[in-house]
Amino acid sequence: MDSARRLGRAQIDVLAQLGVSTVLLGGIYALIAVGLTLIFGIMRVVNFAHGEFLMLGMYAAFWAYDLAALDPYLVLLGAIPLFFAVGLLTYVLVMRGVIHASHNAQIFTTVGLSIALQNVALVVWTGDFRTLRPWHSSVVIRVLGTAFNLSQVVAFAIAVALTLALFAFMKWTHSGRVMRATAQDHDAATLMGIDTDRVYRLTFAIGIACVGAAGVLVSPLYAVYPTAGLQFVLLAYVVVVLGGLGDMVGAMLGSLIVAAVEVLGSYVFGVAWKEVFYFVLFIAVLVFRPAGLFGQRGAETLGV
Amino acid sequence: MTSFPPRRWAALALLGVATLLPLVVRDAFVLDSLILILMWGALSAAWNVAGGYAGQVSLGHAAFFGIGAYSTALMTARFQQSPWLGLLLGVVLSIVAGGVIGYLSNRLRGPYFALSTIAFSQVLLILASRWRGFTAGSEGIPVPFRRGFWTLGLSHVAWVYVALGVALIYYGVEAWLESSRLGYQLAGVREDEDAAEALGIASRRLKIHAVTLSAAMTSVGGTLWAQYVGFVDPFYVFSIDLSIRFALNTIIGGMGTALGPFLGSILITSLETYLRATFSGLKTGFAGTYLVIYGTALILVVRFAPEGLTGLADRLGAWRARADA
Repeated sequence: MDSARRLGRAQIDVLAQLGVSTVLLGGIYALIAVGLTLIFGIMRVVNFAHGEFLMLGMYAAFWAYDLAALDPYLVLLGAIPLFFAVGLLTYVLVMRGVIHASHNAQIFTTVGLSIALQNVALVVWTGDFRTLRPWHSSVVIRVLGTAFNLSQVVAFAIAVALTLALFAFMKWTHSGRVMRATAQDHDAATLMGIDTDRVYRLTFAIGIACVGAAGVLVSPLYAVYPTAGLQFVLLAYVVVVLGGLGDMVGAMLGSLIVAAVEVLGSYVFGVAWKEVFYFVLFIAVLVFRPAGLFGQRGAETLGV
Repeated sequence: MTSFPPRRWAALALLGVATLLPLVVRDAFVLDSLILILMWGALSAAWNVAGGYAGQVSLGHAAFFGIGAYSTALMTARFQQSPWLGLLLGVVLSIVAGGVIGYLSNRLRGPYFALSTIAFSQVLLILASRWRGFTAGSEGIPVPFRRGFWTLGLSHVAWVYVALGVALIYYGVEAWLESSRLGYQLAGVREDEDAAEALGIASRRLKIHAVTLSAAMTSVGGTLWAQYVGFVDPFYVFSIDLSIRFALNTIIGGMGTALGPFLGSILITSLETYLRATFSGLKTGFAGTYLVIYGTALILVVRFAPEGLTGLADRLGAWRARADA
């Protein structure tokens, strides 16, 4: 075989690997972002503490594995209702009071929550980086010249399943319809007899359950420490702004775009510079299409 | 002749204490606390120009702080020039950067603007921490100490007066904003931009000016901080935590008031210093204790006293006036 042909084959392998990595990463990002965009779409609040709930999910998985040798996928079953309850509690204690307040009040309430949660984790669990390595994180699967590990695949599959379940919930259940109605027009929904407080409570709880589940899912892949949520939440902001804040399908597409930028950027320019690309993309989108790539023009100036 | 309001008396009293304290107390710990209170107060006042007066709430002001800090660190450590040149360079760069951010603020409101400022400061963080050839990367830069005013190698007492001078100027800028045409126009834009425009206020230009001024003021604070502390670490000077700190002091003290940022800084900085001194020897985790208190305080203030300490004082004053009558 001549060298040119072998080169061609190798390049196809690289492209396939990059493509698979993009999709796997994008699926997980989507689950993080979809909760953020759901909360924004319905409550009109950007949850600056979103990453901290992810961090708590990662810690939950870490401790369950460390203390009781429970597999993260088993922990997930308990984590979803647990984070749903955490979301409910957070809404009642923290968010309800500022739901009709100004943007600034909402921004700083969630920022305050973020600082408090991060540092509770620091005080309770120290700043050490902790990793958990269940058996499946060292199983490598090779298909058609691409390689990825089993934890990544399972995390992707579960993340996609949960995201689709959320879509189905929003589309076909009564609660989902009520939530969409509230997102469309809060006042009209109230006039139709919808208890918006209940809708907000449910929305926040679902959003937190999603991101908590995502935290459990990524725990075999990334180290956990008190500010572990930050890297993911910055990324989730990029995703939801790309897709249009509040747009759930946009968030899915945005996740794939961000994952592609990250994977390609790391491959071409090295891992050290990968974040630059999505932040530059982020600023470019904010400047040129602030309502998102697929969103309605002008939404950003309404301050929604 | 307008009467002298109580807030101005409070400011005057604080000024008196800060001026006289270094003459009486020579304890380095007390002086250090005073310098930090004044510096954080001035930096929060700088944030207040954009966030409080113009309503452009930024969560990325660390960008300008970092520009100021890096300008002086590179100017002194790499090019052996005076830190004052670094200060000037930082101000020029921050005016450019502030202009860009200010332009963004014309298109984006509420959470969108806050998100874009975070992204901007993160890009600078990555540049500073990864561009090893120029900025020394994540190791940071030690700022050389050379005794003298021209090289900003000062004693603690001298630093108190430098920080006090800057704090006084920043307070003056805001006291002027509170009673000037420009300040009223800014308040108009902040409260209802469409209505302000209908009244013929050039809201777009005004917002850019406010954000740019705020950026330049923050950069000066960053330069002085770097010279005082003597070390620039990219993960600190560009951190979101730092951006939040400017906002936090201002909100706790009272947004859009000249005295607020300084009241907030007195409260938060002394709480931090006290808790650090008390707990730091025990266990590393306790370093986070004061931040838990910060976060909780922020939530409670926003919820129950959104006008901050100055607003509470006003309410108390009004209540007493009613009780007297």
